[in-house]
Amino acid sequence: MSRKYYRFFGGLIKTQEKWLNKLAAEGYRLINTGKLLYEFEECKPNEYQYCIDFIADKSKYNAESYREFLEEFGYRVFYKNINLRWSIGKAEVRPWAEKGGRIAMKSSTLDKELMIIEKHNDGKPFELRTTAEDRILYIKRMRAPWIFMLLIFTVFGIFVRSATILAAAAICLVFVSVFQAELIMLKKNAEIME
Amino acid sequence: MRDNVKGGALTEVTFYILLSLYKPKHGYAIMQFIEENTGGRLSLGAGTLYGALNSLADKGWIELCSEKDGRKKEYLITAEGREAAERELMRLHELTETADKIIGGAL
Repeated sequence: MSRKYYRFFGGLIKTQEKWLNKLAAEGYRLINTGKLLYEFEECKPNEYQYCIDFIADKSKYNAESYREFLEEFGYRVFYKNINLRWSIGKAEVRPWAEKGGRIAMKSSTLDKELMIIEKHNDGKPFELRTTAEDRILYIKRMRAPWIFMLLIFTVFGIFVRSATILAAAAICLVFVSVFQAELIMLKKNAEIME
Repeated sequence: MRDNVKGGALTEVTFYILLSLYKPKHGYAIMQFIEENTGGRLSLGAGTLYGALNSLADKGWIELCSEKDGRKKEYLITAEGREAAERELMRLHELTETADKIIGGAL
């Protein structure tokens, strides 16, 4: 029997990952995703493990080649939207993305900002990023859109004197700070390891 | 990959990837090669491996070779990559020789 959940996680990628792993531990495996929908079927408890990767800055070509690369490992890959769309119409401008991904559309990575990756549990921890340098790069990639939004909301909020927009800027600031704190921690640890 | 350009030292991950690609391999086989040869001490995440392969390909040290039996992409070391790996081996020889001279006798 399948189970359906509707959840909004937004930028809380780690929270979403933990939630999927909690359900997997209880014996539910992801079979389908929608905008807010997560559909599960029953499986043995702890049979699968999940990781979520942020890929909104990738071009369509690179996102697809990354997906194929992951599938070669025997992983199952779902695209998922991050539910933080601010685009007008059918395109979103992403100056922080790599070449080829700066105008995101339905045909590229718009509404495919995340990848949910499922691995058969083999007893080892499931981690996508295992070196300090790579983890630092990844956090910088996730931080970039929040810095961009922070700037836009702050300038625009002051310009039109809107408290709502400034509140949005404050939320962005929280995310930027969280990533910043993580970066500082990682850099410190990397120095200790050397 | 943060490799020390001036001193020429490669990171352990870079060196192992280069070594694994003296024979063509796809991503999963590279990961297995590294785990087997380090007895599981060095375990690479797929995301990290993907990034490392891309940056080594950009450097021209490895390249994609013709896609065998359909979809799987295989990589192979280039002449430039071999040179880098050989330089690293020399550097390590020099290092272990010095270390042997100083601590070797006591062991």
